Amino acid sequence: MTTSPFAGTAASRRQFLAWSGTALALGAAGCSAPGGSAASSGQKAAAAKGSAEPLTKVGLDYPFTQLPLYATLVKLSTAAAKKHGVSLLTTSDGSIPDTQATNLNTWVARKTPAIVSFPMVFEATEAIAKAALDAGLIWVTYGGTMEHQSADIRFSFREGGALLGEAAAKWALENLGGKGKIAFLTDSTIELGRERTKGMIDAFTKLAPGVDVVAQEQAIDPDTGLTKTKAILAKHPDLNLVLGVTDASAYGGFKALEQTGRAKDDAKTFVGGQDGAAPSLIAIKQGTFYRASAALAPQDIANAIVDVPLAVAAGKANPGVEVPIALVGRQDTVKIDALLAQNG
Amino acid sequence: MTTADSVLVRPRALAVGGLGTLRRHPLILVLAVMVLVFQVSTGSFLDPANLRGIATDAATLAIVAVPLALLVISGYLDLSVGSTLALGGLVAGWLAGQGQSPVLAVLGGLAAGAAVGAVNGVLCCYFGLSAFIVTLGMLTAVRGLAQQLFPLPLSGFGPGFAWLGGSRIAGIAAPVVIAALVLVAGALFLALTPAGRHVFAIGVNREAAYLSGISIRRTPFALFVVTGVAAALAGSIKASVLDSAVGGTSGAGFELTVLTAVLLGGVALSGGSGSVLGVLLGVLFLGSLQNGLTLLDVPTFWQQMAQGTALVAGAALAHFAPRSAR
Repeated sequence: MTTSPFAGTAASRRQFLAWSGTALALGAAGCSAPGGSAASSGQKAAAAKGSAEPLTKVGLDYPFTQLPLYATLVKLSTAAAKKHGVSLLTTSDGSIPDTQATNLNTWVARKTPAIVSFPMVFEATEAIAKAALDAGLIWVTYGGTMEHQSADIRFSFREGGALLGEAAAKWALENLGGKGKIAFLTDSTIELGRERTKGMIDAFTKLAPGVDVVAQEQAIDPDTGLTKTKAILAKHPDLNLVLGVTDASAYGGFKALEQTGRAKDDAKTFVGGQDGAAPSLIAIKQGTFYRASAALAPQDIANAIVDVPLAVAAGKANPGVEVPIALVGRQDTVKIDALLAQNG
Repeated sequence: MTTADSVLVRPRALAVGGLGTLRRHPLILVLAVMVLVFQVSTGSFLDPANLRGIATDAATLAIVAVPLALLVISGYLDLSVGSTLALGGLVAGWLAGQGQSPVLAVLGGLAAGAAVGAVNGVLCCYFGLSAFIVTLGMLTAVRGLAQQLFPLPLSGFGPGFAWLGGSRIAGIAAPVVIAALVLVAGALFLALTPAGRHVFAIGVNREAAYLSGISIRRTPFALFVVTGVAAALAGSIKASVLDSAVGGTSGAGFELTVLTAVLLGGVALSGGSGSVLGVLLGVLFLGSLQNGLTLLDVPTFWQQMAQGTALVAGAALAHFAPRSAR
């Protein structure tokens, strides 16, 4: 005799719930660090004493958790914090501004003594930053400057774009006689992307006005970079330059050019991006036509994430920093190796 | 003839004939007009190089869309394919990067996809949990797993692994050949096998199918596993084409693109109706639209509006088509 699956559904669900409950209980037990509750209450007590106490905790709120840089930053910042006897907390915002606001409000309510936040929407985060300052907490703005803050960690995203644009323009003048065709893979969805895009396009078109701009397409990931560049190549098979707002999108462009039969070291082709991502750095080092990346050094950022709040806590004047962006090319092998080592 | 009758007599996948096909798949007409407009406007849309590009890009979409369509026809859904694609690509790429043979690397990726599909299948088919909730949860969980296992981008998978995405078979790109095989297999499965007919029967009325002696758990479970494997295969192909894979971004949003292609192709979200030809049309429609708008240099936000409008128009056309088409 067989039993109807419809009749048996309730029993199956009961079994499932029982198994799930057991699994969750075991999982929770496995995830708890020994003595976790005692440490937690101790930390709460320390935090409640206010900023007169030495800084023991820094909260890093970096919303773009899907980016490879996130994992690198957390790893390096945790190590940097450990050197100073500080523990690093992180949020999981998933690139959602609402989630970021909720997580930041929770940290303020819990009186996390120092918060380093990369706001997705700067204006919307001002109220939270003010609440943090009013509660006696340290607020460090990452990637820009806010009205309410203790200090900031700045990057000149436009300058990074300009560095790449200038290098590409110089290459076009030297190798193409100032002629040729260029496609820009851009981003207009967030402030960082707009700054990089503007810096890159303005610098290039100013220095190499004879190069024909045949496309400006939104692309920040390799897949979109590949698809868009393939379409551009169908219309302009003699495309010479592809500049990306990120290394990821530029890498997609690089692969599209390769797949249309362009030799890896083609002398009349230039691809460049921004970030200093590992696949791009490797392509540059190998002497391909991926020729440049405007790179941030993750270690510099990680140090700033820990050092700036510590400097604020110590009462230092002008504790903010500007993290430099450097252009790396084929000749910068030492720098590339150092960046690759930092990336993992 | 009712939908249930048609299932018992002959699945819609077998329906052929010029005008009849047009009536059942009005997207053919939309696609033809769109291609004409793009060709006239750009002059390069129908260039062989561009068509090859569209076909290669659409291949991964088709590979996942076919098994997903079968799953939807059977009354289920899988929203975790984007994350499964990432996990499959990362596992395959990592194995290739470790010096494993490309075949073993791809098999490793496929095994990861099968595992995700099996978890989805057990929870949905044997425990009766909502496929929407389960696969939505798995979308996030598998993405987290992929990022935890591979927090940094992987690249440099070697020339052997590059074969999967970059080689040509009889002058046709390997991913396109694989997609064609998947399309043919899907169509033959639906049209010629008893299990294919069961897919429709389960989608129309699960209880009636059960009372007719059809295994209402085994077939959808197998489809969940096959969908997971297909997503992992697509991920392996993408990793091969790009010679890189990123845990956080590979395949992000892919689940919505592939579901859009399936629904545009006339597969009913409520189950019980659909065809592989429709899925192919949905895939080609999305690929052509994206490519054509790029060729026309349409600004980003206008592209988004045009894509959204075209999708709604295509869906409306499918909805108002003769009932037998749905």
